Amino acid sequence: MYAEVLTRVLTQVAVVVGILLLTSIALFVGRGRLVTTAREWRSRLQATAPAVAVLAAVLGLNRVVRWRGDEIEGAIGFHMTETFYDLEGEFVLLFQSIATEELTAYFSFIYVYGYAFLLIFPGIAYFALSDTRTFRRLLTAYSLNYVLGLAFYLLVIAYGPRNVMPEELTVTMLYDNSPEYQHLTREVNRNTNVFPSLHTSLAATVGVFAYITRSSYPYWFPVAAVLAASVAVSTMYLGIHWAIDVVAGLVLAGVCVRLSGVLVGRQPVARFRRYLDRRPTPRDDRE
Amino acid sequence: MHRQSTTRSNGIDRRSVLAAGVAGLATATSGCIDRVESAVGQETDRLSLSITTVPADGDREAVRIARHLEEHLEAVGIDASLDMRSRSNFLEAVLIDHEFDLYVGRHPADYDPDFLYETLHSAYANESGWQNPLGFSSMPVDGHLEAQRRVDGERRRERIATLLEGLAEEKPFDPICFPEEHRVVRTDRVDGWNADHPESRHGYLGLEPSEDVDRLRVLVTDARISRNLNPLSATLREQGSTIDLLYDSLATEHDGELVPWLAEDWETTTIEETEIEETEDDDAITRATVTLREDCRFHDDEPVTADDVAFTYRFLEDTALGRAEFTSPAPRYRSHVSTLEDVTVESDRELRLEFSAGYEAAERALTVPVLPEHRWREQVDARAENTETFTAMQGQWGLVTMDNVPAVGSGPFRFESRSEREHLTLERYDDHFTRREDVDLPSVEIERLQFGIDPGSASSIERVANDGADLTASMLEAHALDTIPDEPEIDYLESPSQTFYHVGFNARIEPFSNPHARRLVAGLLDKAWLVEEVFDGHATPTATPLPEEWVPERLTWDGDDPITPFFGSDGDLDVEAARDAFEDTGYRYDDHGRLRL
Repeated sequence: MYAEVLTRVLTQVAVVVGILLLTSIALFVGRGRLVTTAREWRSRLQATAPAVAVLAAVLGLNRVVRWRGDEIEGAIGFHMTETFYDLEGEFVLLFQSIATEELTAYFSFIYVYGYAFLLIFPGIAYFALSDTRTFRRLLTAYSLNYVLGLAFYLLVIAYGPRNVMPEELTVTMLYDNSPEYQHLTREVNRNTNVFPSLHTSLAATVGVFAYITRSSYPYWFPVAAVLAASVAVSTMYLGIHWAIDVVAGLVLAGVCVRLSGVLVGRQPVARFRRYLDRRPTPRDDRE
Repeated sequence: MHRQSTTRSNGIDRRSVLAAGVAGLATATSGCIDRVESAVGQETDRLSLSITTVPADGDREAVRIARHLEEHLEAVGIDASLDMRSRSNFLEAVLIDHEFDLYVGRHPADYDPDFLYETLHSAYANESGWQNPLGFSSMPVDGHLEAQRRVDGERRRERIATLLEGLAEEKPFDPICFPEEHRVVRTDRVDGWNADHPESRHGYLGLEPSEDVDRLRVLVTDARISRNLNPLSATLREQGSTIDLLYDSLATEHDGELVPWLAEDWETTTIEETEIEETEDDDAITRATVTLREDCRFHDDEPVTADDVAFTYRFLEDTALGRAEFTSPAPRYRSHVSTLEDVTVESDRELRLEFSAGYEAAERALTVPVLPEHRWREQVDARAENTETFTAMQGQWGLVTMDNVPAVGSGPFRFESRSEREHLTLERYDDHFTRREDVDLPSVEIERLQFGIDPGSASSIERVANDGADLTASMLEAHALDTIPDEPEIDYLESPSQTFYHVGFNARIEPFSNPHARRLVAGLLDKAWLVEEVFDGHATPTATPLPEEWVPERLTWDGDDPITPFFGSDGDLDVEAARDAFEDTGYRYDDHGRLRL
């Protein structure tokens, strides 16, 4: 019966995000790029396979550690809820003063659907570019976000504003207004994982990439910027994160984007090809 | 109606803040400055307190009480902070490690006032578990706790009244209120609700499922039951019925009375009141002869015998069964068995018990879960053999913390399956005596109980409304009650609670080793206001840990706590009055209005 609710919410998210993705592909990517991608997808896939594999591994690790994290946390973590609360006080309640029903609906939508869309779409958009470097950089930046974020989650045990100031946040609190999402977020996270805000850092990462690639996707940049900013605000508006988590998320995003530039080379295809040529029977060619 | 506003210094009477001086205001509103100064090391002797509690996901009302208290502690110049722990970590900090200054929580209490003996007797101050987590010790209170056990009826009532008066003066903890217990049920698949408390053994008896209904879908907000089924675990459960369903006890509480359960019957004889005065501490006052029901079996098909019952009593007194250097009493049921002086097994089905207490307190021993000797003795043996120096650290060793999955008891339901953080499923045990024709108890008709974990009260209600579940077994939080839909197939169960919210003080350390400090902090709590604002009126404020029928005239609630009234009104603290009271008690303020240790 637990799975039923989860399946229902997941299906709903999949359908909505699917529609958003199809529309955006038509609007931003365009026919020309799709045709080229259809022709070159094999070589692009080969070129980007390592980055994809790393991300998959990181996501797997992330899942295991978050589920089993309480034991590790118990051993090495620091309780920081009070520190955050002392530092910023009731700053996030600022958003309560502008709260309306429409805004709550908007930010709830952004937090769940907008965020999922924001992370997936650049993957498609950058895969559709002939130069695979942006795509590889993006995936690497995602991986870094998760790895570094996870390390902080194990070190810092803190509850978000909704757990500390429930009464002031009842108007906008996500799970009071839309209880079904609790099943979704509970599946991917624990309530002591608030520092830094991975919602913010991943959304900001996408925002920075949208800026870098604005010559390829001029119309995506403003859309991504608005969405990324909305995701960051939504985490505070809905009472899930402290402002400190959001700031840390922004810093993490900056670090990850920078590191991805250092780690990801410009010409992997050529190198990868040469590497394949040296091997007598490249495994990837078997079919 | 006064509404709590959102800035931190509000809720405190503005005028009195000003009256208390600009320095006081600065303390009440800015924690940062204190931090900076203490970092430089200038203010090391300032009184600072940490309030341990659970996050809103665990108990929203507890957090709100804790913040109310934090705000008022800050206002009187104390450096207060919240220490948030998950439910099991909270209990570990309070019950096992005793690492807290003060905490806000809900005590499970019990049907009989003797639970106070366990909670407060100084003999237990050094043990881990539910026994005296506060480290409280007071000769007069010990005397009252002992005296009330030895007598029954009206005389016991008098002694309990004296005890309650002693507690109200000494304040080992400050009771705040008894919450109302609210639950929602669907009546279209299963009928027969309302008769009994849904979180008791009787609650699952006599339910009438419709023809094609094979399971009852129960929601609980607490994931711990999917992780641990150890009846002795102190930290993984404070209430709930799973252990009662998996294990039988000799008798069970029903409507405030003990009724036969695994015991077919028992007879008690208590010596005359006049003779009680002449008895020594451990002389028998009450004798009981207990007869077990015929042919009962544990879930592994082994018979339940009088030896298992005797073993259970011995085991609860010392979980190491005498094999470790020191005895290791269980972190639960400590006072239940402490009046038991002698156990004699007469036959497979008959035992004689001797208690150094009147029958009211003595009979609590009949409510402990009966454990299968063959399984638990084996566990002790295995653990004692594997270690060279077997210590069995009291309240914390493997046997009392292990998950005990699958649990093997003799109760009306047996373990079927579980998935951590998702569900625990129990199936009906068809050999259980409640299924017999000649037993005068309602039968279990439902085949399966599926306890699904749903972390939120609001989402639990929604699932019952959408036919995703039949019952919310955990007590619903007050804030979610107005989301209960008004539909014919949804029913609403309300019952008073024996559990109570309270603030507990750690009497082992400064400042709460001093009863005056405990009383002053109690005066910072506006219980009436908390009940209105935090519980939306769905609770009864109280000055005592026992319900009305035990409370003497002097301690009855008269709109405020009769012994430690709130310094202020309507949730607004009269800072000047409170600070004066602290000074009158001997505390001193520095030039910045900060309370010194």
